[in-house]
Amino acid sequence: MNTSPAVIVLESVSKRYGSATIIHDLSFTVEPGEIVGFLGPNGAGKTTTMRMIAGFTAATSGRVTVAGYDMATQNVEAARRIGYLPERPPLYDALDVAAYLRFVARAKGVARSAIPAQIERVTAACHLEAVFRHEIYKLSKGYRQRLGLAQALLGDPDVLLLDEPTAGLDPGQIHETREVIRAFGRDHAVLFSTHILAEATLICGRVAIINHGRLLAIDSPAGLQRAMEQTNRVMLEVTAPAAALRDLLLAVAGVREVEIHPARADGALTAVCQVDAGSGTEAAIARAVAARWDLHRLERQQPTLENIFLKYVQERPGRGAAA
Amino acid sequence: MSGMLAVFRKELSTYFRSPIAYYVVSVFLLGTGYFFLYNVVLTGETTMAGTFQNMGVLLVSLSPLISMRLLASEYSAGTAELLLTLPLRPWQIVLGKYLGAITILLAITAGTLIDLVPLYLFGAPETTTIVAGYMGFALLGMACLAVGQLFSTLTHNQIVAALITAAVLLGFWFVGHLQSFQASAVLRGLIGYLSFALHFADFIQGLVRTEAVAFYLIVAAIALILSATHLEWRR
Repeated sequence: MNTSPAVIVLESVSKRYGSATIIHDLSFTVEPGEIVGFLGPNGAGKTTTMRMIAGFTAATSGRVTVAGYDMATQNVEAARRIGYLPERPPLYDALDVAAYLRFVARAKGVARSAIPAQIERVTAACHLEAVFRHEIYKLSKGYRQRLGLAQALLGDPDVLLLDEPTAGLDPGQIHETREVIRAFGRDHAVLFSTHILAEATLICGRVAIINHGRLLAIDSPAGLQRAMEQTNRVMLEVTAPAAALRDLLLAVAGVREVEIHPARADGALTAVCQVDAGSGTEAAIARAVAARWDLHRLERQQPTLENIFLKYVQERPGRGAAA
Repeated sequence: MSGMLAVFRKELSTYFRSPIAYYVVSVFLLGTGYFFLYNVVLTGETTMAGTFQNMGVLLVSLSPLISMRLLASEYSAGTAELLLTLPLRPWQIVLGKYLGAITILLAITAGTLIDLVPLYLFGAPETTTIVAGYMGFALLGMACLAVGQLFSTLTHNQIVAALITAAVLLGFWFVGHLQSFQASAVLRGLIGYLSFALHFADFIQGLVRTEAVAFYLIVAAIALILSATHLEWRR
């Protein structure tokens, strides 16, 4: 048994199909009350990782533990504590919504007396009341996705695994789904994969970036931004001769590179400096420039999560480990 | 147990939503009625023997259509990802589905009981022979559905599952014909033992032999164990 408080633990997990290695030596944990976002391009290994945690596929090597149960040997015990929404909502088209939820509740071993209340709760949480008696094959994509989420919430799981839960939803439904995830994540563990970076920043305590089956970074969105600040950029608009401005900027301590963009209609130039991490650089630039020319604007550009993501995914195709 | 029952009930409630189910019911009942009329009215015999023989052939040809969807449809619809991550052990899934298929077969078979009405009205059939015949039919069905479920577990494609099952079952049904070509008594005995049709013939004659009962049950058990093992290993 694992003594750490984490409910999802991956220890050096690898997955091979034949000679192809899909997941390389993946390790991370998710704790109760934590929402972890799983980011990566298509084919990065997100779904395979989700499937290994859910017990649908077994790891080739390494160990996956959920709620203290080893998924290799105790996957049925662990399954009682997992709510899983696969990438493609696993729905029986021939059943109606009510019959489907009843089947899942029974199969999860929910006590007969508790089934109606549980179904009512997840139906309300996922806004399915309007289609409760409808056959599943008639449901729209948004309803199918939310029924998949409702199914995952049945049986009071400790862990929610959601593979792209907001795919195919309209903005209103995305907002509602995020609220469900956020509410559940207050006292449970949630791991969800997404393409939408803003979503990860909005509701995740931590973000894991994965590509080519390797974990590239895992940190809070703010932590990832801090890690990127060493390549922070300072942008300024100033009316000055380009060559002299460049020389002056490069002379300021902490400035590494300067890029000057052509003059605007009013004659002002835009300069972008790559600066070292640290707080004094902006002020030093401002003082030096303002002493000689008209400084119109100066701002430090925060790296967006999108830039961070692209940087990790593009620049680190090889060996993993966080920055 | 409750997990198995959940799977069983789900099977029953989804099965009759498929047009294939109505195809199987109609062909089986129309076919049985046709053979019954042919055997009884034309020959004037008030027995079910000829009809049972034809029912056996219908069963071997139609049961692949009942069993083909059992697991293959779960794979292709993506619901396997739910079913295999629910807190269910492989045997609960395999048995729940198998019992569902058996129940469907028995429900269809019950439709043939109507043939007994004229038989008893206008003749004096031997009840024990008829009971033995239905027992043999049920056991044959158990073996056929278990074999079909195994092939449905092994493929994502329902058509492939049905075709392989039909080929294997027809092979077991007709393998008895090879007996006449075998000089060695051991081979003749083995072929006779493997023949679905020869065991079934005993039941039709009103003979319930332990060997025949055990044969069908063992075939079913082996196929079900292999299905459950495959579900465990496919992870």
